[in-house]
Amino acid sequence: MIRTLNIVFVCTSIFALIGVYALKYSVSETAAEKAAIQRQIERQQADLSLLKADWAFLNQPANVAPIVARHVAELNLQNLAQDQFGRFEVLPLRLTAPDALALDSLFESLNSGVDPIQQIISESN
Amino acid sequence: MAAITEGGAAIALDGAQKTRRHLTKARIRWVVVALILMFGAVAGRLIQLGLVVQDTTIEGQTRDLITATRPALLDRNGLELAVDIRVPSLFAEPRRIIDVNEAASAIHSVLPDLNEDWLRGRLTGDKGFVWVKRELTPEIEDKIMQLGIPGLDFVTESKRFYPGGNEASHILGAVNIDNQGIAGIEKSMDNDSVALLQSLGLARGNELAPVNLSVDLRVQHVMHDVLTDALTRYQAVAAAGVMMDIHTGEIVGLVSLPDFDPNNPVTALQKDSFNRITAGIYELGSSMKSVTIAGALDSGKVRITDSFDARFGVRFGRFTIDDFHGKHRILTLPEVYKYSSNVGAIHIMQAMGKDTFRAFLTRLGFDKTVPLELPEKRNPVVPAKFSEIVAATAAFGHGLSVSPMHMLRAMAAFANDGYMVTPTLYRRSLEDARKTYEQVVSEKTSQEMRYLMRLNALEGSGSRMNKFALGYRTGGKTGTAEKVVNGRYTTGANFNVFASAFPLDNPRYAMVVIVDSPRAENAQSGTTAGWNAGEATGRIIQRVAPMLGISPDFNPMLDDELVPVELR
Repeated sequence: MIRTLNIVFVCTSIFALIGVYALKYSVSETAAEKAAIQRQIERQQADLSLLKADWAFLNQPANVAPIVARHVAELNLQNLAQDQFGRFEVLPLRLTAPDALALDSLFESLNSGVDPIQQIISESN
Repeated sequence: MAAITEGGAAIALDGAQKTRRHLTKARIRWVVVALILMFGAVAGRLIQLGLVVQDTTIEGQTRDLITATRPALLDRNGLELAVDIRVPSLFAEPRRIIDVNEAASAIHSVLPDLNEDWLRGRLTGDKGFVWVKRELTPEIEDKIMQLGIPGLDFVTESKRFYPGGNEASHILGAVNIDNQGIAGIEKSMDNDSVALLQSLGLARGNELAPVNLSVDLRVQHVMHDVLTDALTRYQAVAAAGVMMDIHTGEIVGLVSLPDFDPNNPVTALQKDSFNRITAGIYELGSSMKSVTIAGALDSGKVRITDSFDARFGVRFGRFTIDDFHGKHRILTLPEVYKYSSNVGAIHIMQAMGKDTFRAFLTRLGFDKTVPLELPEKRNPVVPAKFSEIVAATAAFGHGLSVSPMHMLRAMAAFANDGYMVTPTLYRRSLEDARKTYEQVVSEKTSQEMRYLMRLNALEGSGSRMNKFALGYRTGGKTGTAEKVVNGRYTTGANFNVFASAFPLDNPRYAMVVIVDSPRAENAQSGTTAGWNAGEATGRIIQRVAPMLGISPDFNPMLDDELVPVELR
């Protein structure tokens, strides 16, 4: 009785020993993996922060203004003047209905072979 | 078993079994003692290991503090003003370095600007940590790692980067190499929040939520651009400007030239590059007449329809104060403002009473520094009690020194129905701003002041400004003060101010521009404030107003509606 019990205990101890040993190794392996990933994240965050800073720098008015100044002549750039602003109220309202009479006369003249728009163009030439 | 014999000593003899039992007991005892000693030693070692304090400090500072981050600073539209970048810093553990000479020459081969002798001295010894070079690039990190020298390693530090360079330098300030604010908003953030977060360990490694400032980077750029131009155009010593939303108190732009590059914090501490808007106090000259007249109108002792005798100078003992643009006739109150009459201003002040005037200055906060987040501030110099002559000179802006920020806050109040707001550099809603409102003048006075400001732009000393800012309904007051050099007023050098507000039919922004010691741009132009501070104000408004959603309007009705009923 005691003998078999002892054999069982010895066997479990050996298995437990092997198990713990393997676990220890896998844990340290995982830890190394984690550290590597963490380092990679850190590196990528650093790269990202540099790229973000780059983007911010390129986007700054202080950086864009000299580029604009360089191309003033080629692109004919000018500061916006006050009289170049318009308002919606200044625009004429669209006619509520098409001008039926004018359209009729246009179609009549087209049917008779006279194109008033072509006339205007040829006159201006 | 004991054998007893007569007349002899008793001899006791142990049996063989008993003897063996005794021996076993003794052996067990020895084994127990040995085990106790063994386990005691193990326990002792465990306690010893537990008590070891690992030294994680880096030259007196915790490692966490070195890698601490700061929140990114954004402008009101989300553009970056200051960001953190992660950079590697090289350190060495001298006690683990085997061959100092080899290590020193290897580092020197990658970083040639480091002296080899200095390196050798640095790497020798038994120290656990020394910096070799901080804030390097990832490429250099790779090269040094490839050298494979034991005892060298990198720590990733946060470095502050200001993509805009000089442009917003006086708002942002700067940080030192340990990422602690040394000036500007960076310093003020340290004082109230970031330092606390860092000490609690919340600001380590991970990103902090970005902070939105009230500044509009586009406006800031335009102001910087125009004032830099003014510096060369008028050959001035210095120029500065500040613009504020009069309703919310948000500062949308603040420039002071000469400035510094926050990426190179050493330049921040140069004497000449101080913040002239908050840390400079000046005699603001005639622009103070806005304050005098607002106070007088608000006291009720002076009405906008009153007239004042400006035919003769005012005598105080040996001194006579006279006008610069002398009209020498009786002037109405709007004319006093328009022609910037010193004599008229004195009479207006006298009609109000000098003590009322002094109390009004206190109400405007001219006795203490303006409550703004920037740590760079200087106390204004305003005499505690006004004598007759001091009150008279103060009425046209001499004999008292305040910062341009004070004037901005007062002008904003005059335009904002009399409500004075506490300025801020952070974003703020109108509801929050209303809680800081103090009514300094009545709504009626505010209306009259808006009329006077606009009148001065149309017909008075602000007309040069209005030439540029046509259509944006701007108004303001010039101030030309003679500079005090060695305790005397000099006629050669002026200190020029233009304090303005726009658009006056529905005021939204107030601005103060100063130009220090300008010269005439050409033979036809002058050196008074309208020619330089005024023109710069006009140029800024012309470019900035469309960005702020203000469209030009040439309707003359808008100006007519500003005229008070009594004067129509």
